[in-house]
Amino acid sequence: MTRRELDQRVLAWLAEGVDAVRDDARFEALALELFAYQHAHNAPYRRLCRAFGVDPERVKRWQEIPPVPTGAFKEARLATFPEENQVRSFRSSGTSSQNRGELHLDTLELYDASLLATFGAYICPDVKQIRFAVLAPSAMDAPDSSLSYMFDLACRSFGTPESRFYVTRMGWEPESVIADLQAAEEPIALLGTAFAFVHLLDALESRGLELALPHGTRVMETGGFKGRSRELTREELHGALGARLGVPASRIVNQYGMCELGSQFYEPTLRDAIPTRCKRVPPWVRTRVVDPERLHDVPPGESGVLVHYDLVNTGSVLAVQTSDEGRATPEGIEVLGRLATAEARGCSIAADALLAGA
Amino acid sequence: MNALEQLRKVQSKLDPEQVIDALDRVLAAWREPESPWRARLAREHGVYSREVLERGTLEGLRGWTGQALRSLRARELREPCWAPPVTAVWLAGSIPTASFHALLLPLLAGSTVCVKPASHDALSAQLFLESVRALAPEIADAIIVGDNPEWLDTADAVVAHGSDETIAVIRARVPAQRIFVGHGHKLSLAVIGREVELDAAAQAAALDIALYDGRGCLSPAYLLVLDQPRGRATLFARALARALARLASELPRGHLTQSEQLALRELRARAALRAGVELEMSAQGTDWTVILEAAGSRPPPGLLRCVPVIPLADASELERWCGELAPHLSSLGHAGWSQPHAELTRAVAQGGGSRVCPLGRMQYPPLDWNHDGMSPLRSLLRLIGVEEA
Repeated sequence: MTRRELDQRVLAWLAEGVDAVRDDARFEALALELFAYQHAHNAPYRRLCRAFGVDPERVKRWQEIPPVPTGAFKEARLATFPEENQVRSFRSSGTSSQNRGELHLDTLELYDASLLATFGAYICPDVKQIRFAVLAPSAMDAPDSSLSYMFDLACRSFGTPESRFYVTRMGWEPESVIADLQAAEEPIALLGTAFAFVHLLDALESRGLELALPHGTRVMETGGFKGRSRELTREELHGALGARLGVPASRIVNQYGMCELGSQFYEPTLRDAIPTRCKRVPPWVRTRVVDPERLHDVPPGESGVLVHYDLVNTGSVLAVQTSDEGRATPEGIEVLGRLATAEARGCSIAADALLAGA
Repeated sequence: MNALEQLRKVQSKLDPEQVIDALDRVLAAWREPESPWRARLAREHGVYSREVLERGTLEGLRGWTGQALRSLRARELREPCWAPPVTAVWLAGSIPTASFHALLLPLLAGSTVCVKPASHDALSAQLFLESVRALAPEIADAIIVGDNPEWLDTADAVVAHGSDETIAVIRARVPAQRIFVGHGHKLSLAVIGREVELDAAAQAAALDIALYDGRGCLSPAYLLVLDQPRGRATLFARALARALARLASELPRGHLTQSEQLALRELRARAALRAGVELEMSAQGTDWTVILEAAGSRPPPGLLRCVPVIPLADASELERWCGELAPHLSSLGHAGWSQPHAELTRAVAQGGGSRVCPLGRMQYPPLDWNHDGMSPLRSLLRLIGVEEA
């Protein structure tokens, strides 16, 4: 099967949207064909499969497809196409090019289709257009950020002309975002990283402001804190958003995604009108919760490490092992947090410290 | 009277011979075949398997006899000196014999000690103190184990172990006039030359890797193999894999956190993605991994029984390798290296290291080793020169 044929089959599923049947047989067939394709056209991944003794001809279940840890995306170019065909790459956050993983794309067709299907369903289930206030840089200012790309595409697809990004290369503009929020008369979709919201809340607090954003306003927060602001628990963050912006918890959605994956996961808070911590897994994605020692599935309900199998990743690798701890629920997955970098329990110097000093 | 004042009072009455006799009695009890102290350490430590703790502690303490204590003191204390009444010892890591060593040197130098245990090993220092209380009560009051940062301000000398960042923070806190000794985190190398049978070298290397699960600064983080004739490094890597597989049941690995398991998964995956790399690893789980790298590569250091083997085209590459690790090199283990010892010494010095030892003995530094190139006792004392008229 050619790449184009694979893409078309995945696109057909994406076109059915988030309410498409979670057809396991359809997923398995596509996943196995995609794995075989990626094995054949991605030399580093083929080396990894060989090292782990995995031969595509013997793989009969999607769960047997070897995942690549997100950290390993730093090691090699994981793409099924030549570099000259690349149209975009997204890089994970980090302090230097040496320690940032990358997702390489030769087409944005699947990425966009997945993004719009899930964003539309979970952030804009009740509106066709809404004014976006984005606490992040635009894709022009941060071309390698998958989050900025997502916000940019969402703005173009669902945003009114007044939509705006409030973070630039020069920094962010608390005065203008606060002024615009104060003047808002129509509902707003306020989007950003968790640490950006903490900065907004701090700016409001320092000015002694408590806003009451128009009814219908929604908040999408994502990405954790990454040491860029003081850290709040989810309850503290959502409580403060309610107190300072007047947005109730029933209109706050946490999104979960990563640069290495083409698909994202959302809480269906707005769609189902029920606050929940459980994120929906799109029909074209499967997530395993595994014990990291043996990569075996943990018993249902127990926590483990999340491994995603995303059919949208046709141009790279579909199986991605994260460092995120989570558990499966009947409705989807609950993400419990990021497992910290291995803390030294001996006196040997850590690899990153050694490499930093090299 | 506060705890340090009490220690100062005890120190004024300490008799060096009495201290040596007392420590000899305690260490002998730890070395006994059925030592209840070693058994308790193995049972309660938590980071390593019982087998690793049993073997590591027994072998590690083997040469720590009364005679060795006396010889060390005689060798080091050749001239008049002042022993700080109280030495604060800040421990790090999780290796019991390293904690014992750090604790008993100030005592041997004539000081008393207040010890802050490592955050991942609260047991070793406490258990050693318990054994002193039980077997040598006459010096038990010379040791306090606890956690009081103010000791750094008021102790007469400070010995700190930890990351470079931790050492810098502690050093900044200790008054400039006080004696300060810092031991930052380091790593070690092993080299295998042509003059050794590969299976024997692999077994010795596997022991150095398996003991303390590669967590210690004396664990070989890289294995460099002189690849003459070509293919010897590959044969060594395979022999090492067999040896590590055997040791997985003889000296099982200790408990790993999920973060550590993920770190190993990532190391394996990253190695597998690199061109020219061969992997040998445990079939199930992450028990052990041997990564045969391409010549000339500079991979991340090994950890937790996951170790890179790197072919050396020429013996002269060793010095460059050590130099690239500077200043973080600690020890250089060797087997079958036909070049003169002076070359190994020069190479280890290039890396900031201070120890050259046979493969298979990397985890067992002698009592009198010059940790980080410093005299074990003299570094803890103020030496006094008396000049003739």
